[in-house]
Amino acid sequence: MKSKFLFPAALFLLAVVLPYIVPEFWVHVLTEILIMGLFAASFNMIFGYMGQLTFGHAAYYGVGAYTTGLLMVKANVPLLVCLPLSMLSAGLCAAVLGYFCVKLRGIYFAILTMAFGQLVYYIIFQWYSFTGGDNGLQGIVPPAFLGKAANPYYFFTLIIVTLGMIALWKISESPFGYTMRAIRDNAERTEFIGINVQRYMHLNFIIAAMFAGLAGALWGPFNRSVAPDLCSWQHSGMPVFMAVMGGPFNFLGPLVGSAIYTLLMAFVTSFTEYWPMVSGIVIIVVVLVMPGGLLGMLEDKFPFLRRKDDSEKGTEG
Amino acid sequence: MDITSLFTQFLSGLTYGTILFLVAAGLSLIFGVMNILNFAHAALWLMGAYFSYTFWNLMQEHSFAFWLSIPLAGLAAGAVGWVMEVVLIKRIYKRELYEQLLITYSIALILSDTIKLTWGVTNKLIVRPEMIRKPVFIFGAPLDSYFIFVILAGAAVAIGLWWFLKYTRYGHIVKAAVFSREMVGALGIPIPRIYTWVFTLGIFLAGFAGGIQAPIGSITLGMDTAIIIQAFCVVVIGGFGSLLGTLVGSLIVGEVMSFTILFWPEGAMVLIFVITAAILIVRPWGLFGTPMRT
Repeated sequence: MKSKFLFPAALFLLAVVLPYIVPEFWVHVLTEILIMGLFAASFNMIFGYMGQLTFGHAAYYGVGAYTTGLLMVKANVPLLVCLPLSMLSAGLCAAVLGYFCVKLRGIYFAILTMAFGQLVYYIIFQWYSFTGGDNGLQGIVPPAFLGKAANPYYFFTLIIVTLGMIALWKISESPFGYTMRAIRDNAERTEFIGINVQRYMHLNFIIAAMFAGLAGALWGPFNRSVAPDLCSWQHSGMPVFMAVMGGPFNFLGPLVGSAIYTLLMAFVTSFTEYWPMVSGIVIIVVVLVMPGGLLGMLEDKFPFLRRKDDSEKGTEG
Repeated sequence: MDITSLFTQFLSGLTYGTILFLVAAGLSLIFGVMNILNFAHAALWLMGAYFSYTFWNLMQEHSFAFWLSIPLAGLAAGAVGWVMEVVLIKRIYKRELYEQLLITYSIALILSDTIKLTWGVTNKLIVRPEMIRKPVFIFGAPLDSYFIFVILAGAAVAIGLWWFLKYTRYGHIVKAAVFSREMVGALGIPIPRIYTWVFTLGIFLAGFAGGIQAPIGSITLGMDTAIIIQAFCVVVIGGFGSLLGTLVGSLIVGEVMSFTILFWPEGAMVLIFVITAAILIVRPWGLFGTPMRT
């Protein structure tokens, strides 16, 4: 086994062992870490690898969550069938909306993704007859074979998230993934070597949205309900925090960031309601003190951790 | 649908547009000059509303309390903005876009909780003086008499800012900085100090707008999250850094909201985002912005 798989393998082992050690409450937290970790990793396909900040990624997460929620509640479709359908619906949304987004860069990309995200949010929020409006959808129960306890659904999530992460890893290490890095580092030169930058960005946008949709699909049965807030711009901020905390230039950075953020939130909210303030202070400290996130900082301190094949940011922004 | 009710709808759109203009003017100014998209803007607007309540509460026995508390709210918010700029925003002008967004977003989170800590969770209500409690009728259309003041205040701010940008030395510097910061710096003008004061002015406007907003209904936590997105839409539609654009953008958003509610109430916000997205796709720099900025 090559050394670059040591860290992910260790994380996976930890993820398998932990639910047998910690109390049930923390198994729920672990499930949340995995779901949000996949969401943040999908976001990072656009942010870390393509170099564009999307502030509307929650829209695709929400579309995935609602697809599974609606199919399960209204048509009794099995969860395993819902998952690929959620990816499909999120991908279709991204195919339409992303087509316009990839025409823009920088702040305009961020604002347009946010505007589209809010558009999706208000459509779901207002469409009472179909989505339940601001009441959301209740009674999304995991399939019977997963039972009622926390552990089975956790392991189900672990399997799906691991498969999702492996797929994203394969994509990011493929020639397509390296084309993304080229676009991030210098879109103009990439265009000059004959690559249709917009089409590649569009494709990557769709891929990222599909995996956000998959993460969203896992959320409904976990939380037993979905609500329009899953699509809101505040929710779109979460993967940004997570990616930046863990390190956007490491493949596992967003997942690590999700672990930090979610654990911190579970811990802080147990004794104060002022979690937003605490999270705000933490984010400011992270941005000012360790701009590369936790993994980025560790790599700077301990150069032997650095791997050649990482999505290290090039010199040209 | 008769003319009077259409006119009523127009007036309500005009009022809402004016409030949006007051919020968005500072946002646009700050983005235009410093390239910072200030997520915390609406939190400071809400803080302005709470400041206004506090000042009004302290001076209640005086007849001028109601009116004086509005500019005082602007000044108090401006002071908070000044501290914010000097302590935090100063450090991030040269940082990457996502870092700037995260910092202002975090400040918004911190400010919202600060408001909750300071003023509590109960809604605050400012009691209006006798003269503005009854509606007035304009061509038979009823209008909250306070809204006349709102519209006048919005017009005064628009004219004041226009005058400031067009006829004062500092206004010229600000306008030049929107165009090219490097050039202004090269002419020996202390850019950091200009930034501090532009930011403070922008936040003063937000606080002032909050003060204006305060007596309209009760002041509640979380009012800021909806308005920040609408203010972004206004600035995008009008063009970052353009005062005229912000004015036109706010009136468009206000009137579109007001008239859509008549025949398709669920679609009002959806339509606003469709317009915003369309403008971004066709003219990313907005109706009145300059295309050279990226």
